[in-house]
Amino acid sequence: MTKRDIAADAAKLRRPVAADPLGPNSEIGRKLKQYYDELVSDEVPDRFASLLAQLESAESARKKD
Amino acid sequence: MAVSAAFKTDLLAAIPSLRAFAVSLSQNADRADDLVQETLVKAWDKHASFQPGTNLKAWLFTILRNEFYSQMRKRGREVQDSEGLMTARMAVHPSQHGQLDLKDFKVALEQLPEDQREAIILIGASGFSYEEAAEICDCAVGTIKSRVSRARTRLQDILQISGEADFGPDAIASQVMGSSAA
Repeated sequence: MTKRDIAADAAKLRRPVAADPLGPNSEIGRKLKQYYDELVSDEVPDRFASLLAQLESAESARKKD
Repeated sequence: MAVSAAFKTDLLAAIPSLRAFAVSLSQNADRADDLVQETLVKAWDKHASFQPGTNLKAWLFTILRNEFYSQMRKRGREVQDSEGLMTARMAVHPSQHGQLDLKDFKVALEQLPEDQREAIILIGASGFSYEEAAEICDCAVGTIKSRVSRARTRLQDILQISGEADFGPDAIASQVMGSSAA
């Protein structure tokens, strides 16, 4: 095996890591997803649904004018 | 043009992601919900400028991010959340069992500059591509890449995770590279 072959093999080994440094094999990547998923699954307060309902009724009121 | 029912349904569906992104950016739950509210109102007003078939989530994230930075400029840096500063001062202890605590991770994340935090969240958690993240942040793809990389290095430093390369395929590669260079 020449030095060039070894370097090429090393590059091959390295590629998946370089492609996804935050993937499931990375502690930072896993924690990042855990942190975010917890936030996403947080219960959404009612104020947002009411806000959209309000925007909608304001719009239909405007249309009647 | 009236706001379609489909648009409204899509807005509702996007709220959990918007809140997660808003908390990640502002590191404050109350401010985050204000940001989401402002985003929804703006999205409603500007719905005609959204091109159906394109990524609504990315469009909404862009609005939210712009709102966050414009609020930050208005408030000025000096009124930074005091709760955040407190936790930032708390020391992060390296984990005993190699298992990183989520609480420690949050403290570390909070210490990142906003541009690095948003980049690593968009790429590592929200599921956006580098191209999409670059569009959301209105910068070059290369800029996002370097911010993500700096954020990752900084988090590893704070959390004292000695490079994951120690046991990953990277380590093998660097050993091989090292020996071939010797």
